[in-house]
Amino acid sequence: MLSMTNISKVYRSEMVQTNALRDFNFQVNEGEFIAVTGPSGSGKTTFLNIAGMLETYTGGTYQLDGIDVGRLSDNGRAELRNQKIGFIFQGFNLIPDLNLYENVEVPLRYRGIKAAERKRRIERCLEQVGLGARAKHVPAQLSGGQQQRVAIARALAGEPRFLLADEPTGNLDSLMARQVMELLENINKDGATIIMVTHDPELARRAQRNIQVVDGQICDFKLYQGGLEKQRAGAEV
Amino acid sequence: MFLHYIDLGWRSLRRTPVVSLLMLLAIAIGIGVTMTSLSVYHMMSVNPMPHKNDQLFAVQLRTMDQGADWWTSDNLPFQLTYQDAMNLRKGSVPFRQTAMLKTGFGVKPANPDIPPFIETARAADSDFFAMYEVPFAYGAAWDKAVDLQGEAVAVIGDELNQKLFGGGNNVGKDIVLDSVSYRIVGILKAWKLEPQIYDLNNGAWGQNEQLFIPFSLLPIQELKSWGNNNGWKYEEENTYQDKLNSEVVWLQYKVELKDKQAQQDFRDYMAGYIKEQQKLGRFKRDDAEGDIKNISQWLDYRQIVSADNKILVGLSFMFLFVCLANILSLLLAKFLKRAPEIGVRRALGASKTQVFAQHLVEVGMLGLAGGALGLLIAQLGLYLLRSGFSRYEAVAQMDLTMWLAAPTISILACLLAGCYPAWKVCRTTPALYLKTQ
Ligand SMILES: Nc1ncnc2c1ncn2[C@@H]1O[C@H](COP(=O)(O)OP(=O)(O)OP(=O)(O)O)[C@@H](O)[C@H]1O
Ligand SMILES: [Mg+2]
Repeated sequence: MLSMTNISKVYRSEMVQTNALRDFNFQVNEGEFIAVTGPSGSGKTTFLNIAGMLETYTGGTYQLDGIDVGRLSDNGRAELRNQKIGFIFQGFNLIPDLNLYENVEVPLRYRGIKAAERKRRIERCLEQVGLGARAKHVPAQLSGGQQQRVAIARALAGEPRFLLADEPTGNLDSLMARQVMELLENINKDGATIIMVTHDPELARRAQRNIQVVDGQICDFKLYQGGLEKQRAGAEV
Repeated sequence: MFLHYIDLGWRSLRRTPVVSLLMLLAIAIGIGVTMTSLSVYHMMSVNPMPHKNDQLFAVQLRTMDQGADWWTSDNLPFQLTYQDAMNLRKGSVPFRQTAMLKTGFGVKPANPDIPPFIETARAADSDFFAMYEVPFAYGAAWDKAVDLQGEAVAVIGDELNQKLFGGGNNVGKDIVLDSVSYRIVGILKAWKLEPQIYDLNNGAWGQNEQLFIPFSLLPIQELKSWGNNNGWKYEEENTYQDKLNSEVVWLQYKVELKDKQAQQDFRDYMAGYIKEQQKLGRFKRDDAEGDIKNISQWLDYRQIVSADNKILVGLSFMFLFVCLANILSLLLAKFLKRAPEIGVRRALGASKTQVFAQHLVEVGMLGLAGGALGLLIAQLGLYLLRSGFSRYEAVAQMDLTMWLAAPTISILACLLAGCYPAWKVCRTTPALYLKTQ
């Protein structure tokens, strides 16, 4: 369903040029649950943003459900994103002025879902992340972990076919992290395709497929280790 | 979605109360100043009888000899000579017609408790009241026969009736004007016609006359002119008869013409009259002609809205523009600060159009509130104008059009100022703010 060929992303500022992604080749099939790992700054978030069409890429081709994303207009991308994709951001990115209920409501409104249906979904999703009782609170009144859970509820409420999660468990204790993982596994069972960035090897193992991003490229786990060893060897000489 | 945008807009305005208040004040003051000057302009240029616009005409004749010129744009004097007014009004081409003179009297009330006073009056023909739809409380205009013979009768206004008699039906009673007794035949209801389209030449604004007498009394009572008298050549003027025979223009002459055909007939009638007079040795010029102008043409021609006023309106709109520029920069700063939130909304499926609309609604709300406050400021401005300058009393007013114009202009102005900031914010790249917490 998702296919990236030779995707590259270059960030240019006045002084430096960062190759956030290079020759990035990646396929995802419908219904997969993929965990993405890799060192900090390797390009994981950049990859997710491009996959979610939040960011344009510099080179290569990206097809989502057979549609060439590069050919879409901005509004076309917004529509596709709205219909198919759910996000859990690395920073939770809740809207500070809105209470939890309203935060979860945001994507539903843009999707044009009727009020009664919105209410049903919001209540269910907040319940699922254990925050049903705090719907009227604003994000500032919550702990980091609780905010993370609201962000998850917001992504789930849209019932996306394709969920992009950037360290969804980063701020949660291991028990909560496992619960969230179960939530994700459940919606994956219901048919959603999931790409999840995580630093937690235990969670990564529970996914069907693991990929590793290093230096803006997907690399084989062993190769990566080999590279490290080479580096060490070089340092010792 | 629109209601949702209103909700979001309201929250956003409340979140930054100081900035919102500043913007509100900026737009309100801008609108207040603009609406003050615009209202005066509007009231000045308003046609008080639009339904008769194409029926009531001012009549002009180019009477002066070759070589003599008038200072008007079309080289026609505003008023007529007595000879021409009398001659023209003899004809029966117009449906209604009236020659007029602005005059005045010393009034000696019958009640000895009321001291004598000076009162402006208008000598006119009986048709005047019907032409300008002047409403009668008691009695009626004098008979048409009086227009030919001259008889000491009068129609008085409601106010004068109150002053002299304390109100009531006083038809048949007498009023003494310059020691001549006039029989009252009609009493008007309270009535107002501004600008005074029947005689813009002698003051467009202010109170309408309270005293009307037959024009046919001119030679009999030797009525003095209380208005403008203009001549184009030197003439001895020793007696009243000299004045009546002179080429001095000092009288108004208005006709009611029902349709295009009637207008043409009247133009032909004037052309015929000019030929006839030329045979008698008057109008010694090649381009002697007559003209008729309807109400709006006449208002425009007489430049009832002064150039000063137009400049004032222009200046006030420039001031509004400055206010808008301030609002624009405040909005820009405010909206761009919200870019992270917009990034999230975009990531969650908002299209550019939706983000744009959300911000425009917020700006529109500001415009509505600013317009309302601006109306209050405009009312204050108009009040100050009225109390400070008596000549503004009639025109420093707001009619319904202006009441509706204020919020409309305010909202449009705000949308104009808000377009750029809203466009700017809807272009934020969604990803830019998502990586950082
Ligand atoms: N907007 C940007 N402008 C310039 N450089 C950027 C920008 N966003 C990311 N980068 C650079 O691109 C590279 C990849 O960043 P990215 O955020 O994808 O890393 P990451 O793998 O998500 O790291 P982390 O695990 O710390 O979240 C980094 O070197 C980063 O500095
Ligand atoms: Mg990241």
